[in-house]
Amino acid sequence: MIAASNLSPVLPEPMTWGEICERYPSQWVCVVDMDRLTPTSSEFRTARVVGHGATRREPLDQARAWRSRFEIIGHYFTGAIVAPVPRFLP
Amino acid sequence: MRYETEFDPKLNLILVAGEVSGPLGRTALRLVLDTGASETLLVPEVVDDLGYSPRNAEAVTGVYSAIGKEQGYILRVAEFSALGFTVPDFRVHVFDLADRYAIDGLVGLSFLRRFNYEIRSAEGRILVEPVATS
Repeated sequence: MIAASNLSPVLPEPMTWGEICERYPSQWVCVVDMDRLTPTSSEFRTARVVGHGATRREPLDQARAWRSRFEIIGHYFTGAIVAPVPRFLP
Repeated sequence: MRYETEFDPKLNLILVAGEVSGPLGRTALRLVLDTGASETLLVPEVVDDLGYSPRNAEAVTGVYSAIGKEQGYILRVAEFSALGFTVPDFRVHVFDLADRYAIDGLVGLSFLRRFNYEIRSAEGRILVEPVATS
């Protein structure tokens, strides 16, 4: 049991953004191992989903265990983008 | 050095990629470019996950939103990147956005004023070059 508890979780298979959106519709997801179109792009050919949920926080909590293995974690929403425009006080 | 970023001109927002670093790692985000926002904003969930907390705040801030004046705080993050450029020790406003707003923050003038930039809306391109500092 002690040995089993030290095992890393299994790394999920790579998926395209379309496949991720289809499997986790209108959810927040965390992804690792992003094969980005350009080094600074948020678009990628494939990535591995290591967290998902209805709130921003859920996938981040699930993905924390992967921080030691991956330099960067992506945090994205799979549904339509609706953004507010807050205005700051001087 | 001039850097070009593409965005989807069909959307009614300019979405760009961003990255933020903290004591526990680095997170890639989707942000809205907002030249009407004086400050760059990140949601608390993201900065919390990177090891920051309100205890690291430099100041408490107020923000006008659709439901009135709400509080956030100012935080210095180890690095903030967007539009092809990275700024170390960058000051952001941490402010809660409802989960239904499918972004993690805004790129505001506090970041943009470090550059000359050209937003070519019809083409979906942003051209950015750093301002020379003496």
